[in-house]
Amino acid sequence: MPLSKDHIGGLVFLCLSVAYGYYAGEIALLPGDEFAPFNAQSLPSALAVLGGILSIALIVTADRSSAGRLQLAGYDFWLVAKLLLLVVLLGVALPWIGFLASTILFLIGGYWLLGVRSIKTLLLASVPFSVVLWFLLAQLLDIYLAPGRLFTAMLGG
Amino acid sequence: MWDGILTGLGTAVMPFNLLMVVVGCFAGTFIGMLPGLGPISAVALMIPITYGLDPASGIILMAGVYYGAVFGGSTSSILVNAPGCASTVVTAFDGFPLAQKNQAGKALALAAYSSFTGGTIGALILLFAAPALASVSLSFQSGDYFALMLLGLTAVAAFSGKGQVIKALLMTVFGLMIATVGTDITSGATRFTFGSVDLIDGVSFLLLAMATFALTEVIMTVLRGQHREAEPEMDMAALGSMKLSREEVKEVAPTIGRSSVFGFLVGVLPGAGATIASFMAYGLERNLASAKEKLKFGKGSLRGLAAPESANNAASTGSFVPLLTLGIPGSGTTAIMLGALIAYGIQPGPRLFMDNPDVFWSVIISMYFGNLVLLILNLPLIPYISRLLAIPRPILIPLILFFSITGVYLVSFNTFDIQMMVLITVIAIFLKLLAFPMAPMLLGFILGGILEKNLARALTMSDGSFSFLWDRPLTLVITLIAVAVLLFPLLGTVLGKLRGKGPEAAVAEGEG
Repeated sequence: MPLSKDHIGGLVFLCLSVAYGYYAGEIALLPGDEFAPFNAQSLPSALAVLGGILSIALIVTADRSSAGRLQLAGYDFWLVAKLLLLVVLLGVALPWIGFLASTILFLIGGYWLLGVRSIKTLLLASVPFSVVLWFLLAQLLDIYLAPGRLFTAMLGG
Repeated sequence: MWDGILTGLGTAVMPFNLLMVVVGCFAGTFIGMLPGLGPISAVALMIPITYGLDPASGIILMAGVYYGAVFGGSTSSILVNAPGCASTVVTAFDGFPLAQKNQAGKALALAAYSSFTGGTIGALILLFAAPALASVSLSFQSGDYFALMLLGLTAVAAFSGKGQVIKALLMTVFGLMIATVGTDITSGATRFTFGSVDLIDGVSFLLLAMATFALTEVIMTVLRGQHREAEPEMDMAALGSMKLSREEVKEVAPTIGRSSVFGFLVGVLPGAGATIASFMAYGLERNLASAKEKLKFGKGSLRGLAAPESANNAASTGSFVPLLTLGIPGSGTTAIMLGALIAYGIQPGPRLFMDNPDVFWSVIISMYFGNLVLLILNLPLIPYISRLLAIPRPILIPLILFFSITGVYLVSFNTFDIQMMVLITVIAIFLKLLAFPMAPMLLGFILGGILEKNLARALTMSDGSFSFLWDRPLTLVITLIAVAVLLFPLLGTVLGKLRGKGPEAAVAEGEG
């Protein structure tokens, strides 16, 4: 029997509920709290049980028709993975090269991944935008944007 | 009440707040026009901007974006048959055929007049209904609040569509689980932080909202390959006249009137929202039409266009009633606004009416201004605003991605948040592929803290007994409604599935 979307979802949530319930039992309580009518473990424990019941209900009542099967054809997962990696890289780059440079590089990378190949468009759609935004934030709104450790190390300050 | 209205009027007519209404309506119209991005994403994108404003201005801006986005969605539905959001899908049924007959101008004008009337009638009812409901709910105790939270959570699941109830409930539980991450407010114990200092304060609402709605929606357009689609071409010269004849006004006036009231009432129901209101109003209008009129539906009927347009705007207004008076959002979009209000330190609910009358009333008053802005400024500018749609998707998508990420980063200045957003986006994409609705998760997350606090207080006061749920008649009534709202669709789903019936296509996840 092929797994449907409901089966997969139900199993994932069942595993989540079991793991959540396990860690709910690990929550450290203050002395005497275990006798209180409500403590830090109460709601998590209830949610783990509720999650488990609902997951089983979803598995039992799963839609077994062909419409309920997971169809992955036609989705561009590879491009999405590259875009998300670019977002991760933005997070890594921000403390090192600062807001302005990482913004420009992120935008150029994003445009490039989505098929823009003209150097003129890549630069025109990223550099002026990033500079204006940086000016707005850092100069007009007076938000401190660290220049980046790399620049600080090279230029001092 | 009149003192409050004057306070609200005073706040709403401040030049800066008027500017916020105008900016909100324009930004909302533009974002709403983009296929795939609806009011939820538009409002989510505004949250970081509103953090720098005072609460009244912030909520006024978000409210402006909300109905601007609904209007923008209608515009792209009519002009290019590409609804920007679920609540304007029905608008395309008759709006696009009108545009094909070179009557796009008339269709846009009718949509604007209907939205204006729907929004205004909705705002008028809100003006009287909200304070009445708020004064009743002033007597609420923690048990009542807990029961109300239960009602809000179950209603959102119940309205999520056939075959989706269990999934929506699971997502609500998932949202509640995420809300428990961090420090427990009652005992100070840390929960599910796994030793990470970044998780001690829990998951930020802004991060979750931006990751699940703004970032995920944009990534989904890439996943589906929509970024490769050609930008819609609009022949602005073929818009035609924007005038409606006297006969046409007479024909649609009753439709607009009843759809507005109907839409408002549907919007008030927690979880129902503008999408369901527009579908139901269209169905109602078609049922009321004569056999000859019925044939026109789907082929450019003016009544078929006016009904969903009045209903979705009135429902958008109606969804503010449970938000402002009970602290329960009426839709996914108002759920985001609820989170923003809580982030401001304002607790929506009965006390809002008393403690922050400027916020309460200025939001209501600014709705009139918002509707006026949409009618007077946005309608004539539609040909120009829609030119923004010509920006190529490969340029627009990285820009929206960037705004979503920096919106979160510029609040916390913590790059951990960016990595966390990516993780949440991956989970959200996976769940969306499995057809799990996102709005109940966000609602569970937002209401989780308040629900736990009220449950803890009620249980402590009743010495660990759940009798507080039936001791007071008011609590009992709310609890019974919550149980009924939950059980009817749940039993229907379980019985239907066990009998072997496949789930019917659900109306999109209560968006709007």
